[in-house]
Amino acid sequence: MINAPSAATTAEVTEIDASARFPLLLLVGSALVWLVLSGALALVNLVQLHTPSFAAVCSVMTYGRVAAMQESAFIYGWAANAGLAVALWVLARLGGSSLRSLNWVLFGTAFWNLALLGGVVGIACGDALAHGWLHLPRYVLPLMLVAYGAIGVAGVLAWTGRRHEMTFAAQWYAVAALFLFPWLFSAAQVILVFVPERGVLQAVIAGWYVQGAWTLWLAPLALAAAYYVVPKVGGRTIASYDFASLGFWTLLFVGAWTGGRHFIGGPVPAWVVTVAGVSCALLLFHYMIVGLNLRGAFSGGGSVVLKFIGFGVVAYVLGGFLDAITAFRGIAVVTQFTFFTEAQHQLAVTGAFSMIMFGAIYFMVPRLTGQAWPSSGLVRAHYFTSLLGTIGLVVSLAIAGWIQGHDLNQASVSFEAIAAHVKVWLLLATAAQALLLLGNLLLLAHLLRAVVSNLASSTPANFRPGSTMEASAS
Amino acid sequence: MKNGFIFFLGLFLALLLAWAGIVLGAHAQLSHLAPYFDENEGKAFPERMAGIAVQGQLVYQDLGCAACHTQQVRRPDFGGDKARGWGDRQSVARDYISQPYVQLGESRIGPDLANFGARPRAVDPDRLTKYLFEQHGGMPAYPFLFETRRIVGERSDQALNVPTAAGYEVVPTHRAVALVAYLQSLNNVYEYPEAKPVAPAAEKKEGEHK
Repeated sequence: MINAPSAATTAEVTEIDASARFPLLLLVGSALVWLVLSGALALVNLVQLHTPSFAAVCSVMTYGRVAAMQESAFIYGWAANAGLAVALWVLARLGGSSLRSLNWVLFGTAFWNLALLGGVVGIACGDALAHGWLHLPRYVLPLMLVAYGAIGVAGVLAWTGRRHEMTFAAQWYAVAALFLFPWLFSAAQVILVFVPERGVLQAVIAGWYVQGAWTLWLAPLALAAAYYVVPKVGGRTIASYDFASLGFWTLLFVGAWTGGRHFIGGPVPAWVVTVAGVSCALLLFHYMIVGLNLRGAFSGGGSVVLKFIGFGVVAYVLGGFLDAITAFRGIAVVTQFTFFTEAQHQLAVTGAFSMIMFGAIYFMVPRLTGQAWPSSGLVRAHYFTSLLGTIGLVVSLAIAGWIQGHDLNQASVSFEAIAAHVKVWLLLATAAQALLLLGNLLLLAHLLRAVVSNLASSTPANFRPGSTMEASAS
Repeated sequence: MKNGFIFFLGLFLALLLAWAGIVLGAHAQLSHLAPYFDENEGKAFPERMAGIAVQGQLVYQDLGCAACHTQQVRRPDFGGDKARGWGDRQSVARDYISQPYVQLGESRIGPDLANFGARPRAVDPDRLTKYLFEQHGGMPAYPFLFETRRIVGERSDQALNVPTAAGYEVVPTHRAVALVAYLQSLNNVYEYPEAKPVAPAAEKKEGEHK
């Protein structure tokens, strides 16, 4: 039986949370709107895979454009907004003082999302770029960089202005993500978009950027959340904490080198591929430490927060091992260019990142609003739809990809035959994606309900004595 | 991790090393690649793309064709690329130096297109144009690349040979023409010295010269 997320924890709402309520809720709300939008687009894409004529009468809904819009909405809409909200909150709480420059956060959030909206519309109109994770049109990219900087300032101030000299793993990951992404993003913009490199160098750089954005930005954001929430909810310190810094630096120094594994057999320098394979194996060290550190997530009793995060940690570690396995040429000859790669991508971004973020959001929002989630039933429903949806999506795509990969390597199997072989698995993936979308709609509706009920009672709540606030949060 | 400065330095170094290693490393190796001049043929390869083909590459990019089609052939003994007729040799970096918007692609929901221009389907531009107008297996039709219009005077010589209402014709838009020109230009069959497939030693006959 799952308890309501906040029931298992002690009430704790501080001035730090109250002051950051509006900016952080705005980030979380925007994130969820983008998540639902990208889920709907992903559903369209999956239907188009087995029914190619679906919605394809106009150029806006072409498979390629929908895929680009979906990816952009997911990465820069959902992942960025949610990750920033949680990272700022973690930094403020561990830093021991309220977030400063919150107006900049509001300003940045507004412009980040407006620019992203402009970018997604731009993709729909045909201005997309063709680099992985960088499909957004060139004209929104500089604005997004500036907006990100405005949001990130609060994080840097929370770090430099922290009350304690001692820092925690959650802070390292949060600061690394906040600090490194602008460098990565601006470097990629310059050498891919504004002063583009020539020939396959574009592909090599895009590979570096995608891997960097995952290992230096999104993964650290998720880990910051997990390293903060797991000991808080579990009420125990992080297991084997001494290793945490090794795990951290391994991810930072090795992670970005693994991007070349997608080019096995491709027209790029062979060492790019080889270095990536070696780095994938080295990175296993990081995944093992994360698993070791966060094993407290699996003994959380009934806490739904820990159930989400526990699932995310398993997906994260599993994803790391799968990356290392598919970096072998003998495996890649089958899995490369297939739905299997997509399954690995989904395992990372949906299975690991989203699930950990959901857990963190369920933990954070009651502390921001000062009230428990209105309905534990909705939380449970979201958990089960996410669980089944993620497993269904990843497993069916992986099986479809494995079949597709074997078929592709046999020249006698036509593309029509391949489509027929994988159809049932793609149908299953479609159902799973629909389930995910439903669950995420529930979360969005739930958040709106929480905010509305908070607004209804909060005009006086701001002036209520702290003790009343704390009681209502339990 | 008490020293904030060292910490930030470490973060920055982590990013810098990967950037220097991968981006600068690959740049140092590939940025000087020049077209290969073949004295027998009297011209350099890869040939420069025609202007309309570059426009077509932009259409290919904005429709996201790379979501389903790769443009990179793997070497003959690695996967079924050669057996499928996608290319006799693996793609090499030099194949792409004249392309402004390289799209290697990561997914083979449809066939690889690196040498599409060399295939029978691409030889006749009219057939290829019509191919885009209709749905084929997993590839949807792209009706928005075409215009159905009333025939004024004579029927356009670009008009597709497809059933339409009387007095109307279906003609490709400029985007369709550019896309077809681009697809026809995809032809990397020239064997650069670095692209010659390495023949297994056992297949060498006695007295054979390379």
